[in-house]
Amino acid sequence: MNTPAEHESNKPCFPGLDPNLIFFYAGYFSQNIINAIGDAVRLRLEQTETSGSARRKIFSTFIEMAQNIVHYSSDSLTPPDQATLEMRAGSVMVSHTDNTFHIICANPVDPSFAEQLKPLLEPLRLMSMEQIKDAYRKTLRAETDENSKGAGLGFLTIAKDSSAPIEYGFEPAANGMQMFTLKATI
Amino acid sequence: MEKFYLAATSNTPEVDFDFPARRLLLKGESYPESAAAFYGDILNKTSAFLDETREQTIHISVQLNYFNSSSTKMLFSLFDRLNLAAEEGNTVVLDWHHDIDDETILEFGLELAEDFPAIEFHAHAIES
Repeated sequence: MNTPAEHESNKPCFPGLDPNLIFFYAGYFSQNIINAIGDAVRLRLEQTETSGSARRKIFSTFIEMAQNIVHYSSDSLTPPDQATLEMRAGSVMVSHTDNTFHIICANPVDPSFAEQLKPLLEPLRLMSMEQIKDAYRKTLRAETDENSKGAGLGFLTIAKDSSAPIEYGFEPAANGMQMFTLKATI
Repeated sequence: MEKFYLAATSNTPEVDFDFPARRLLLKGESYPESAAAFYGDILNKTSAFLDETREQTIHISVQLNYFNSSSTKMLFSLFDRLNLAAEEGNTVVLDWHHDIDDETILEFGLELAEDFPAIEFHAHAIES
């Protein structure tokens, strides 16, 4: 175990890194990159005085967001119909201020896909935690959506772990795309 | 039926499905790029094993540190199939391990216990 003094000296000194920034990555995401940066996120969180429960929620939110980028970003290095070993662009940030963690992700999406996401996301902002848990239970038992590469449970998993309503946005981006951002609070 | 074994990787669990001994183990992390692909094979083999298993006791131990949303869905399908085997006259015992801090994994275990009452469910809280 580190003493408090040693812990203090472990604060990042690399330019651009500050104690409030747990993690930031922008660029291409693949499953291998997620595995590697997942380890970095876990280690950085262990250096903070954060409960095991909160650390687990942050890690889960981070993985759900990063895997959404791999599966759904419109900016793809691999052919769009390739279902495995995909590599797509986006960013994920984890920050820590005043005992609150924010996990924010961004990636471009096709405008038609943006229209599909909005009706999934907007209700999650309005639901109570009990309603979110109920929707989670129902979705878990429902047949997997044929259009979904994951379980369709990802946004509900993020919303269930978020202590404040999730926030999202769509802004015009290059090449006629929409930049999708999503924010969770833990 | 032969054993089915996969070593753990950084994002997939150790799978030790010893069908002849009727002891199944999932241990580690579960966030594969495609949970449907990873668990598809596991589900098929388990289903084939259960098709030819009658009036036996089957132990399954789940010791997962983390699983993502798409793995959750596949685990639910796996226990749905095991519950059917239990309804057909087998005894299915599930040892569900969760970190003491991890209410998400405990809650999912309780969901399984509620939905699949034919499975004998035991939760084990692990000190981290």
